[in-house]
Amino acid sequence: MRKEYTEYPFDWTLHSLFTAASKANDGTKKEYDRIMSRIGDMKELADFVFGLGEAGALFMKGFSQYTEAITTAHQSGKKLALTTFCQSPAIFWAMDVVPIVLEPMTVLGNLVRKGGTSEYMDFCVEAGFTETSCSSQRGALGAYLYGLAEKPDFVAIDTGGICDTNANSFTFAASYMNIPFYQINYPPTLTDKRAADYHRSDYRNFIRFLEEQTGNKLDEDRLRVIMKEIEVQDDLICELQELQRLRPNPVPVIFNLFIYALRFTMAGQEPCTTMLKACLDHAKANAARGLSGLSTVEEKSRALFVYIDHYATNVPMWTFLDRMGISHLGCILTKFYQEGAFYANGGGYHLDSANLDTMIDTLAEQNSRLPMVKQIRGPYDAPDMWLEEALYLKDSMNADFAVYSGTPGCRNTWGMVKLFAKKLEDAGLPTLVINADAFDERVESWEATQHRFEEFLELRRLL
Amino acid sequence: MNPIFKEAAAHVDNQVIRDWKARGKKVIGHTCSHVPEEIITAAGMMPYRLRGIESETTSIGDTYFGPFICSCPKAILQKAGEGAYKFLDGAVMVQSCDSMRRLDECWRAANEDYPGILPGFWHYLGVPHKAVDYSLKWFSQEIELFKTHIEEHFGVEITEEKLLEAVALYNETRDLLKELDEIRAMEETPLSGQEAMDIVLAGTALPKQVYNPLLKETLAELKTRKTHHGGKKRILLGGSVVDDPSLISVIEGEGAVVVADTVCFGSRSFEGLVPEDSPIMLTIAGRYLHHQFCPRMFGYYKDRMGLILQKIKQANVDGVILQNIRFCDLHGSENGLFERELESMGIPVIRLEREYGAMADEGRLRMRIGAFLESVSVGNIEKPAA
Repeated sequence: MRKEYTEYPFDWTLHSLFTAASKANDGTKKEYDRIMSRIGDMKELADFVFGLGEAGALFMKGFSQYTEAITTAHQSGKKLALTTFCQSPAIFWAMDVVPIVLEPMTVLGNLVRKGGTSEYMDFCVEAGFTETSCSSQRGALGAYLYGLAEKPDFVAIDTGGICDTNANSFTFAASYMNIPFYQINYPPTLTDKRAADYHRSDYRNFIRFLEEQTGNKLDEDRLRVIMKEIEVQDDLICELQELQRLRPNPVPVIFNLFIYALRFTMAGQEPCTTMLKACLDHAKANAARGLSGLSTVEEKSRALFVYIDHYATNVPMWTFLDRMGISHLGCILTKFYQEGAFYANGGGYHLDSANLDTMIDTLAEQNSRLPMVKQIRGPYDAPDMWLEEALYLKDSMNADFAVYSGTPGCRNTWGMVKLFAKKLEDAGLPTLVINADAFDERVESWEATQHRFEEFLELRRLL
Repeated sequence: MNPIFKEAAAHVDNQVIRDWKARGKKVIGHTCSHVPEEIITAAGMMPYRLRGIESETTSIGDTYFGPFICSCPKAILQKAGEGAYKFLDGAVMVQSCDSMRRLDECWRAANEDYPGILPGFWHYLGVPHKAVDYSLKWFSQEIELFKTHIEEHFGVEITEEKLLEAVALYNETRDLLKELDEIRAMEETPLSGQEAMDIVLAGTALPKQVYNPLLKETLAELKTRKTHHGGKKRILLGGSVVDDPSLISVIEGEGAVVVADTVCFGSRSFEGLVPEDSPIMLTIAGRYLHHQFCPRMFGYYKDRMGLILQKIKQANVDGVILQNIRFCDLHGSENGLFERELESMGIPVIRLEREYGAMADEGRLRMRIGAFLESVSVGNIEKPAA
């Protein structure tokens, strides 16, 4: 790794950048410009995000608070868990554990640093990873393996049976750093009794693991407070997603990132709720005036992202969509399958905070329906899986086209994405499969991706 | 070497299968060592582990799979698309690894373009990624469902008695193959790694009722064999799928002998017996789930490292070659951990990434293996505690 990348801790750097950026917006224009001149790599992101008013400011503040929790966890006697985006962090917060959610950390690193997290990705390969492993973990993980961040106390994930490359990265990390490891594992089906029993048993076993690691019993009252907060967050997200169905869609494109980035890291925590409220107020105000969430005002086309988004420095995909008049209808990462979500169709989780047992069952159900865990655990065309969801969203959200954006490390989706895309096309939904890496611009620059995107829009006459 | 083994190891189809089919008997293909073959055998059918050997291209596989996928399932689909697997009466798709599990959808899609390539019986088998009480219970139910599906589809009955017979037959196979491993590990090993692999691979493509007696004869012959491979550099081959002998022939062509392995299809596939006990489904599930030698079983790195060390000691290994098929991150990354730990013990190691199949990149591999072997000294490493 180049020396300049090893001079400051990765987590602390992110914390400093987000803290400085979030404070910048509190001052005068002159002060803002002055601070931005010091954190130039992140200026375009800050301009775009702060341009969205309070929601943008709260997004910045939220990540300042999240990274502060990580960097100060050990000082304040808390454990740090290395985990993944599709594992609900609520249980960690309930047990006074701070979750280091690797993929959002990679995204944050990418968004604010020129060159993203490529040096850390490469260090993973130096440490023994295959170069074909998923970049979403490798980005931040390289810093942890190198020792450039607070060392996690244990690893706890839920991608066994969902994503090999994800689970493999974490099991590698646990062995490399010699720390305890737990994986929640999923059967290939979702709604049958056997699967539900499995989810519950496994989640209870997971809680026992957490209790062993922390030395604390799971506190019912504390968990209830967090569950109640999640309930509020669920309602806010459901309402935002209902608004996305309107034509024009009043939700700004980057609110999708706001929704999942804070939900993945701070579910059940107040900063996430506050930001979601601001997002909803913003979108409602647009809807009341019949406006789209696009800065270009006119909604020319509606894009359904069927997998993930693209996370190059300074969010070029999001600014591109905004500039082109394309509204973003959400991606797999914004789907949490709450009972009230319009797409849940009776298969969502029911939040029951009556007692400790019902709350644990709820968490097990919730976890089993998180992004990716829900959609790609079994054959893509089986009941409850990816194709069924995408076809439902196509109609219920009036999508004009679909985009698959992912990483070459994603064995699971690349194993059948051609078939999936063909089914969507057969159903009348033009589908763009992007061959880039959402986390690593060295695979394909955003400019090249954008060129292909524009070509697709033109050829399919979507604008 | 028995020519039946040679033929079964080197070709998708073989004479024993043709005779079996001529007698009106069924063959069920599958894709993973976690499939409890005892169920298929107890139904009076022959289990067959699918391979993509003899593929000269992956044009059909590439049509359905995406580009960043291991070439092994692509090659299997290639063979299926070319009609090589038309002798199958059924196939079991397994949630083994992410590349292989998608063979299910890709094969079904290919059947729309190449009608008739999909066997009449099609089953998707879930396999948990850990071995604990509730996963064991779930898996035993999954096996029960598999059994019921076979019974209903083919109109057969799989009795407990037949299952116990099948369990005993498979345990015998495993015992015999362990004996083969011991012979391989001898100081003056009488057989090459390539021969050993042929024998093991043949077992995946022959009914065990035919295979076991032939294996017994072969073991007896090996015990009296005069020729040996003493004095050569002794290699352990680890990592992902090796289902044709060409990689081993390259290693041995450079003057070494492969005396042990932990590869998929190889020795790790016959580790552990099924207790001949009841409840039978639970004991079968137990054997296959505690079979944690594939990195798809997350969190068992130390067990797998333990197996490697045990074999290094047992076979008096001089060096370790770890390989993975490109895009097999499970084996590839774990090989990185093995390399680090083995090197810290002073054991020479090389990691290779390769394509599946008949040595598409033979020249490059030959050069790397040759250079590695030059750096390995015979009998020079202090054997680790297993």
